[in-house]
Amino acid sequence: MISVRKFVFAGASLIAVVAITGCGEKEQVVVYQQGKYQGKADTKPWENDPGASLYTTSKWKAGDKSGWENALKSRNQNQNEYTRAE
Amino acid sequence: MLLTRKSASAPSAQSRLAKGLAGMLGKTIDRRTFLKRSGVAAGAGAFASQLPFNLIGKAEAANEAKEGGKIEVKRTVCTHCSVGCSIDAVVQNGVWVRQEPVFDSPLNLGAHCAKGASVREHGMTENSHRLKYPMKLENGKYKRISWEQAINEVGDKLLGIRKESGPDATFWVGSSKHNNEQSYLLCKWVRLFGTNNTDHQARICHSTTVAGVANTWGYGAMTNSYNDMQNAKAIWFMGSNAAEAHPVSMLHVLHAKETGAKIIVADPRFTRTAAKADHYVRIRSGTDVAVIWSVLYHVFKNGWEDKQYIHDRVYGMDKVRDEVMKWTPERAKEVTGVSEEDLYKIAETMSKNKPSSIVWCMGQTQHSIGNAMVRAFCVFQLALGNIGVMGGGANIFRGHDNVQGATDIGPNPDSLPGYYGVAPGAFAHWARVWNIDLEWLKKQYASPAMMSKPGMTVSRWIDGVLEKNELIDQDSNLRALIYWGHAPNSQSRGKEMVEAMKKLDLLVVIDPYPSATAAMAAMVRKDGVYLLPAATQYETSGSVTASNRSLQWREKVIEPLFEAKPDQTIMYLLAKKFGFADQLVGKKDGKQNIQVVNDEPVIEDITREFNRGTWTIGYTGQSPERLKLHMKNMHTFDVKTLRAKGGPCDGEYYGLPWPCYGTPEMKHPGSPNLYDTSKHVMDGGGNFRANFGVEKDGVNLLAEDGSYSKGAELTTGYPEFDHVLLKKLGWWDDLTEAEKTEAEGKNWKTDLSGGIQRVVMKVHGCHFWGNAKARAVVWNFPDGVPLHREPLYSPRPDLVEKFPTHDDKKAFWRLPTLFKSVQEKNKNISKDFPLIMTSGRLVEYEGGGEETRSNAWLAELQQNMFVEINPKSANDRGIRNNDYVWVKTPTGAQLKVMAQVTERVGPDTVFLPFHFSGWWMGKDMLDYYPEGAAPIVRGEAVNTATTYGYDSVTMMQETKTTLCQIEKFQA
Amino acid sequence: MARMKFICDAERCIECNGCVTACKQENEVPWGVNRRRVVTINDGVAGEKSISVACMHCSDAPCMAVCPVDCFYRTEEGVVLHDKDMCIGCGYCFYACPFGAPQFPQAGAFGMRGKMDKCTFCAGGPEKDNSKEEFAKYGSNRLAQGKLPACAEMCSTKALLGGDGDVISDIFRDRALKRGKGAEVWGWGTAYGKPDNPQQQAPKGAKS
Repeated sequence: MISVRKFVFAGASLIAVVAITGCGEKEQVVVYQQGKYQGKADTKPWENDPGASLYTTSKWKAGDKSGWENALKSRNQNQNEYTRAE
Repeated sequence: MLLTRKSASAPSAQSRLAKGLAGMLGKTIDRRTFLKRSGVAAGAGAFASQLPFNLIGKAEAANEAKEGGKIEVKRTVCTHCSVGCSIDAVVQNGVWVRQEPVFDSPLNLGAHCAKGASVREHGMTENSHRLKYPMKLENGKYKRISWEQAINEVGDKLLGIRKESGPDATFWVGSSKHNNEQSYLLCKWVRLFGTNNTDHQARICHSTTVAGVANTWGYGAMTNSYNDMQNAKAIWFMGSNAAEAHPVSMLHVLHAKETGAKIIVADPRFTRTAAKADHYVRIRSGTDVAVIWSVLYHVFKNGWEDKQYIHDRVYGMDKVRDEVMKWTPERAKEVTGVSEEDLYKIAETMSKNKPSSIVWCMGQTQHSIGNAMVRAFCVFQLALGNIGVMGGGANIFRGHDNVQGATDIGPNPDSLPGYYGVAPGAFAHWARVWNIDLEWLKKQYASPAMMSKPGMTVSRWIDGVLEKNELIDQDSNLRALIYWGHAPNSQSRGKEMVEAMKKLDLLVVIDPYPSATAAMAAMVRKDGVYLLPAATQYETSGSVTASNRSLQWREKVIEPLFEAKPDQTIMYLLAKKFGFADQLVGKKDGKQNIQVVNDEPVIEDITREFNRGTWTIGYTGQSPERLKLHMKNMHTFDVKTLRAKGGPCDGEYYGLPWPCYGTPEMKHPGSPNLYDTSKHVMDGGGNFRANFGVEKDGVNLLAEDGSYSKGAELTTGYPEFDHVLLKKLGWWDDLTEAEKTEAEGKNWKTDLSGGIQRVVMKVHGCHFWGNAKARAVVWNFPDGVPLHREPLYSPRPDLVEKFPTHDDKKAFWRLPTLFKSVQEKNKNISKDFPLIMTSGRLVEYEGGGEETRSNAWLAELQQNMFVEINPKSANDRGIRNNDYVWVKTPTGAQLKVMAQVTERVGPDTVFLPFHFSGWWMGKDMLDYYPEGAAPIVRGEAVNTATTYGYDSVTMMQETKTTLCQIEKFQA
Repeated sequence: MARMKFICDAERCIECNGCVTACKQENEVPWGVNRRRVVTINDGVAGEKSISVACMHCSDAPCMAVCPVDCFYRTEEGVVLHDKDMCIGCGYCFYACPFGAPQFPQAGAFGMRGKMDKCTFCAGGPEKDNSKEEFAKYGSNRLAQGKLPACAEMCSTKALLGGDGDVISDIFRDRALKRGKGAEVWGWGTAYGKPDNPQQQAPKGAKS
């Protein structure tokens, strides 16, 4: 999980130079830019198909952001017992 | 835009918060901080380093499974308390990989406490602290053996003891963690072996409740439900710390509070429940009767009692009143330490905010007068007319997940399943249900006298071993002890327990965890101990009864891990060895009640068998099919009433809370609130039971005219039904011909056709157990009107004079039992042991704690046994927070524990949690555990040091009020 | 747009640690690392109150601001996550965080630090969603499964709310109105005080 990395701090500008991630298909040197995320990209949760998870009761279509949001909104009401008992 | 460096103003916000938090923490030290800090000193780091950095060892395996494979979702129920929280277990290729909340459950709505949220640990094999295979103690060390060898050796030894000393030389400690089917089967199993010497956790948890409540109005159980507390306008907790012992119940309680209910907590300790109360009152431990009477004093004085209700439905309130009016505010203050103002406020709150409810737990039950305390609380509710009322009731929170079920139909020394007792008629009834030959069964017992004599209790088995033979009420002393799912450190007088363990011929532990029993025994013995690995409740299926009497069905989540076997299989294997396998499964005359697959009796068949016999408390209507239907349709049940609206369970109450009368086909909906006359009996309504005759000394014991359950044809009080009464009323012909044949000569409890119940309820709308008054005076108990009596070890010699305990008893549950002689001898002992010692629960652990202390996710949160001590008492003794101290008691025992200095307890009291074991008077017992099976966290067991003292009715042990002294530990 | 937030209702929290073990169990967090914990003030005396604390996923997160290697990112739903492959375990984020959320697995007596670990709002991290790698480094990704954080979903008294900020503040506001007190939301102002969405209002009476 941990590949060899070297970090170099360059004064207050805090520039980290990351060397070698492995196979070399990616850029081998990440040039630090202040205030910009330097790590790997992440996928959006709604891009997944609900069927891909082990078990879920929520329903939406992969990539359908508002469908996913609605599924979560309705699931959120499970944290509100007033919906079942006044 | 946001990924910019923090503006200059931010740091101030941070430091303000940090300061604020630090300031708040500086004021008091919470338990968590205390433990975190103390952990470093106590070598908790060692624990951490022994563990893998990442518990993910197992997760890796789980994730490999995730790459594909069959996914199943199994619905089960948490095994850690009686609330009955549902869990969806996600299982992939047989591995339990995820745990999901079940929002649909009307009981917990997806909510869990620390224990419930971490039950998946039970499915982990890496770093498991389970007992993994059968073991045998040889030369002081546990060695692995095969199942075959274990069954053969244990069997041969038991048969030998049975032959030499009779079946009563054995004692079988069953379990409230067995499901209904297992505990019912064990109850039967022990009888087939030929003894009544069996018991389980209920003895030391709510036995006083069960006896006290049943004798007051019917049967011993929580009258309403956790959910119904949402309907209460005021709730009084006394002797219950629900926030730690039943955390999910607080979902309903805090919801009620939010919608206007007033919460009162009376307790010697400012508990986490008290922190949520509107009104907290500190009482002296052991004075519950006095507190209740002193509150009732204000109720009577102000005329707040429900006079009509008392007239119609209560016997003996006048006699109670005579006693209550003696509890003037001055006397109350003197005995309980509570001010008149506080007492008045409780009385007023409970009287003016009706329906009002009460909650009690082991704070009231575990006393030498526990039966009186719980009855006093019942009488209080009767005076206010709160019993049989939605939002009212006596909400008795049970402890273990199935302690209610095991009490109802499990291994009890004084009763066959369903409170039938052990009289010859009871055996005749059950022999019919069990499909066995009654004459054969009689021969299994030593004699007819021993057959109808209640056995010893788990609280006293040590005396069954150690007491002089001529003083015990059976031929032989106990020679063999079987702990079948029960901790030893939950029983008092631990110091004497190891002496008893030493003296036994045979000790068998059947448990998923080896439990402290294994270590205690290995500490004092070289051989004669066997450990058999049992499966957990996630490795079998079956029904479990929550505190509110609802039955829920657990699906099997995973196959038993390691070499564990389900308890029903172990019972069957031993029965085969003893030659009563056929009787165990009811195989006779071409019929077989319970099918057996691979030596495992089929669970559903066991359910159906107790369905056919348990008419008393209505365990007859809950067929496996109906229960499984409820588990699938949880979302259709209303949270406040527990009643299904539409769907396949329409009109039924969730989990068919007992009594669910008649056959499953009669479709009784279950009873949400007991004794509720506002509902028809076929709608779950009822009334108080006629169990004590029709009159007492010329006073009517039946309900008065006009008091009856809705829709009943009889509009006055009436006695219980049998074939004679049915004929007299001209209702006999409502029975079918087949029912008539069976019902002839029977009563509502023994008619296996269910015809009597059907006709009385369904056709005539009456209750077959009669319609009587509740008894405020239980004349068959030592104190008919509950009286305050000082504990055996009292901090107040002056009050011992005024409120002495009972006289000693000779043959009580087969043993001599001391009261007054102990109290007299120790009257002035508070000079040397001035602090009241009490014990209780922590939210992270359960019971004896071996199981939960073996769960790393829980163990990390509570790493040290401790004693809560008030700053005043601590400073007087030169004790500072986190110091190790000796807790010394009059037994000569001493416990090395950490001091937590806190105002949670008053200066006269100290509190110790009861979940720890694995240290013995200063020494770690790690070496005595089977290798790899010691719990992660070990500590002193409070019961190593507890003193003598038992309830005068049920043999409940006194653990809540004794005395101790505390000294700083010097190495 | 959904903006994920936490609220802990101090009137309801009973310090049962359900959230703590729910988190441990769901994410299989190692011993010694506490992504979530319960803090109690006035323990054992009148006024005792508890709150469950974890990463609040601040609108303008201080951790993110101070990180020397910029390994933090904020997802569209407002969840603050980080890339463990980049993290150098320097601990700046720990000093910056007003909630003490960042955790560092410790090895040896001198506390050699590992990579920072913290609450992910059960949203995993920058690896393939629901993959073995994601679970090993960051734990469960419930958001990608259409679920909310295990701690909030399993809270014993529904004191801890987690989810869309609008939804949970509505739930909380209704509750506070019903009981007529306890409208103060601990940490809300600090975490979400400068919201990215100005229309979004904190629950009535909110303060830090």
